[in-house]
Amino acid sequence: MPRLTDKAWSPYVAGALIGLLQIPAFLFLGTALGASSSFVTVGASVAEVFDPGIRAIRYAAGHLDGAKNWWQVALVIGIALGAFASSRLSGAVRRGVAPVWQRATDLSRGGRFVLAFFAGFLMLMGARIADGCTSGHGLSGMAQLSLGSFAAVTAMFVGGILTATLLFRPVR
Amino acid sequence: MSIVTAILLGLAMGVAFGFFLEKARVFEPAVILGQFQFRSFLMLRVFLAGVAAGLVVLAVLTGFGWAKLSPKALLPMADIAGGLVLGAGIALAGACPGTVLAQIGAGYKDAWFTLAGGILGALAFTYAEPHLAPVLQVAGQGKLTLDMVTGVPFWMLALGFAVVLVLALVGLERWRPWRQEIGENADGLMPPRQATPPAHAVPAE
Repeated sequence: MPRLTDKAWSPYVAGALIGLLQIPAFLFLGTALGASSSFVTVGASVAEVFDPGIRAIRYAAGHLDGAKNWWQVALVIGIALGAFASSRLSGAVRRGVAPVWQRATDLSRGGRFVLAFFAGFLMLMGARIADGCTSGHGLSGMAQLSLGSFAAVTAMFVGGILTATLLFRPVR
Repeated sequence: MSIVTAILLGLAMGVAFGFFLEKARVFEPAVILGQFQFRSFLMLRVFLAGVAAGLVVLAVLTGFGWAKLSPKALLPMADIAGGLVLGAGIALAGACPGTVLAQIGAGYKDAWFTLAGGILGALAFTYAEPHLAPVLQVAGQGKLTLDMVTGVPFWMLALGFAVVLVLALVGLERWRPWRQEIGENADGLMPPRQATPPAHAVPAE
């Protein structure tokens, strides 16, 4: 039986439990699990303080208000809280930068921070172009047998494999 | 649903989501990089198990008429171009848009930069969207799912696909048990490969 104080659960059990979260998403929200559109809601909300005109962009307006948009913002904040709780319960608390980066790259700590910022930018730009990320297209789109999601997930793996093999040293 | 209820529900679901992501170790950068370099398959295990459970859930919910699917439209340009950029970003970040928050919760500092870059990226896309949309929607096919194309009921295809995924995972586990991929520090990092010793040690004379 998996315990709350374990550092790792079977990936099959943990993955299946994540899949079961589709039940409340579909029953209560009428939507599927997703993460990346919350970045638009947060970004556009901050931008609106400086640029109220952003509401004139229909895409922005569609992400600023409403229960579904703020449900997803709460969901991703919850992810941080849940991972915090789990890591404190098991003692697998992380500090600084993961050691894998030293093995895969020659970057200093500062260099890693710059790359992480650039990577985040690229990641969300791509997710918004594709209209979904690993959650929305991956977990949810594939579970709905959506052809667009099959295409997006395939492209995502191709992009990831090319980048990780061409730009990084082998991690082990 | 009121916005407050939605936020409370989102928080509760998110806490569970983050807890499972942390226990699955799939938020670890070494796990993501290891998957893309075919040196670890932990990400695929979690991902396919999540899809399989989702398929069963949706087969039941839609089969009994309790829920309706809400798939995304098939936009070949957007799906492929966006997917490629997203994949490159995931590899460089060692995270996905969802797991970057799990990294923050667990304590990784660079994840804060990934998050900030991500919010800026989403905002940049928002400003660019009116100009990009005509290109991204080229050859758009609307919401298209496998059951629509084949005419086979969704629940039947979904359960069949779930069985295929479970069998694939059973095979994966037989080939390579998941515990071998967790690592001593539970971060998916294995000891570096030892330099191969010379095939024939020269005896000292």
